[in-house]
Amino acid sequence: MSVLTPPPVRGASAPRTGGAQGEHLKRKRRLFWPFMIPTVALYSIFLVLPTIATVYYGFTTWAGAGDDPNFVGFDQYVALWNNDSFQFSFRNTLIYVFVGGVGTFLLAFLFTMVLRDMKGGKLVRAILFFPNIVAPVALGMFLGFVFKYQPGKQGLANFFLESLGATSAKFLDPANVTWVVTASIMWASSGFYITILMAAVDRIPPYLYEDAEMAGASPWQKFRNVTLPLTWDVVGVAGVLWTINALKIFELVFVLAGPGTYSPPNSAWTLGIFVFDRSFGSNGTPDFGAASACAVAMIVLVSVLVVMLRRLMRRDAIQF
Amino acid sequence: MTVGVVSTFAAAACGTPTGPEGGTPGGQNALPGVEEYLNAPCPEVGTKPTTDKELIYWSMWTADEPQGKVMQKAIKCFTEKTGVKVDVQWQGRKGYTQNLVPALNTDNVPDLFDQDVSKVSAAVMQPGGTQSVDDVFTMKVGEGEKTVKEVLDPTSYDFPQNKDAAGANFMVPYLLQSSAWWYNKDKLKDFQPPKTTAEMIAAFDKAKADGGGVGPVAQDGDIPFYNMYFFTQIAERFVGAGGLYQAATDKTGQAWKSEPGYLKAAEETAKIPAYFIDGWDAAKFPQVQQRWADGEASFLYVGSWAPSETREYLGKQGGGAAINYGSFQFPMPEGATKDTIEQMSIGFSVTKKAKHPEAAKAFSAYMLNKDILNGITAVADNLVPRTDLPVPDDLKDLKASFDDPKKEKVLQYDGLDGIAGGKWATEVFDPLNLELLKGNINPQQFVDGLATKSADFWKSQG
Repeated sequence: MSVLTPPPVRGASAPRTGGAQGEHLKRKRRLFWPFMIPTVALYSIFLVLPTIATVYYGFTTWAGAGDDPNFVGFDQYVALWNNDSFQFSFRNTLIYVFVGGVGTFLLAFLFTMVLRDMKGGKLVRAILFFPNIVAPVALGMFLGFVFKYQPGKQGLANFFLESLGATSAKFLDPANVTWVVTASIMWASSGFYITILMAAVDRIPPYLYEDAEMAGASPWQKFRNVTLPLTWDVVGVAGVLWTINALKIFELVFVLAGPGTYSPPNSAWTLGIFVFDRSFGSNGTPDFGAASACAVAMIVLVSVLVVMLRRLMRRDAIQF
Repeated sequence: MTVGVVSTFAAAACGTPTGPEGGTPGGQNALPGVEEYLNAPCPEVGTKPTTDKELIYWSMWTADEPQGKVMQKAIKCFTEKTGVKVDVQWQGRKGYTQNLVPALNTDNVPDLFDQDVSKVSAAVMQPGGTQSVDDVFTMKVGEGEKTVKEVLDPTSYDFPQNKDAAGANFMVPYLLQSSAWWYNKDKLKDFQPPKTTAEMIAAFDKAKADGGGVGPVAQDGDIPFYNMYFFTQIAERFVGAGGLYQAATDKTGQAWKSEPGYLKAAEETAKIPAYFIDGWDAAKFPQVQQRWADGEASFLYVGSWAPSETREYLGKQGGGAAINYGSFQFPMPEGATKDTIEQMSIGFSVTKKAKHPEAAKAFSAYMLNKDILNGITAVADNLVPRTDLPVPDDLKDLKASFDDPKKEKVLQYDGLDGIAGGKWATEVFDPLNLELLKGNINPQQFVDGLATKSADFWKSQG
């Protein structure tokens, strides 16, 4: 919000300083609002107002089909809390945020440990990033084939399992699909976090590692005592990014757990799918009240998680 | 962004009346008469609009799928004969919720749109977005003096679910769907459709033995409303049309327990999954249906779109495989008294805010002209609500059951999928049904679960 106040301009209230610099500052001040207004307007129209509207609709029942919203107070939130689909969605979303998060960051740290002084590390980094340039929907369709279960004509995953002498698994069974998607997301997104973390690692002066090496430090000790402390603030930001991304996971689950046309069985839903299903109805009347209430719950959840994470990660920055 | 991506998929994927869109089935799987239909001269328009010069139509089809081609022909002919310019948008199956419903808040609405009657009712009619189409029934179809009312089978439109708050019809049907057990007549040579459940189970056993123990029933278990067929089909035979709907909308949920037919239906349902193909519960539609088309399973229970979907698949696969489609209805379970057959009408509705209602209604009537409507059977391989048109070969068995006067017509799933905008099925029925089919709960637990979950659901709905 502080952006909205014009920056305190030195000398602005003291015209006696005068001269070229004063003129320049005056012009700068005059330009403040012409630059500010479009931003504020666009931001308000496309973000602030819709958010306020969402909060309002969360207190109504509304089919959104030419009818008027009907104010019902906190009914939608009470209904949400008692709703099985919402509970599944909530649980699954938390699984993606926490289990997926721990897994993704473990993978990312593991790679930062080895990639730094690995031959061809840059190429490996690029390859690991690849899943990020594919649309999640396409990835979901592709993984649908990878995880196919059909005795005699198995998908890639079961083909490997069978080649190793193990029994094939029903990956896409609604009971298992959350874990399959968790693993897929870890695979798909760790490249992104490796890239961010490696960018931070690259800034660490090499002599610190050389020093550690001379002192006989193992890779783990180098990671623990050099890499992690010096990238801590970046890890924190990456954690926040992960939380936000994981909370809105939608497409991958939608196409992997269901036919891709209709919502999958509700035991596999995420909060994103809940909002989608209530907005576009599985077979008819949209329920924008419930969808908005869930969207508000998502905003609250992401805020709480991010604040918690920031507090947890708070350390004094190390200068180097 | 997400919505856009998903809607693209919604339009491109299937589980729909007609399945995968785009491309003409090739080789042996191509239907005869397609070119003939598309190149035939245009029939006359029976009732021409007097003032409207334009018509905006949001279609549930995509332009190159078979039904889309039929619509294109109808539009071309309508414009040629009346001079009315038709502005068509090919929105696909989800267009009605993703585009039409939000548009109803504005004045920028189409005049004409199409979907199945349950969906139109839930999403558009109930919030007040449609207008009466009763006047269409008196319009001429372009075959002398014949009117829409005279050519249509009354069971295709004259039922309670097609009436708006004022009691008027809100949809004019042009396509009918039903569902059946499908099999390949060339593979099961001496097969006779079973008359009792015991005979059906015996047929499954035989098919299982003949197939070397492979499950004889193909089932795409990832689509909740494909899993819904078994229990609803059997239960309808105990309680008749409207019974399931009544039980599901019973606020106390007790109807599930007080009517003994539901427990019996659940018991009959629980016998079937033993014959499901391995992997049905980890399926990704349409993989299992395609396994049926490839001959891995003998039977498949799905809608009347099964032939058109699997024909298209086999055509694209190449290799010359073809199916001689046979079908039969669920036999009467022991103790059941209502012989039923499911139907779903798909047709045109006119929006309340339509700017060109006259043209929209005239087009709805013209669609039912035999030379136009014939495309739905000849090109799209679907059933139509006229009894005097030839029936596609694939659907002959189904049509015979359909025309059987002993059978009572029931709306698809008795309308369970549309209750509370589809939420009742998602929250109450689908999860319990999946557990029953997977054998995780027994029939008694299923019925008890329906009673308690349904009561909870209605309590939360206020």
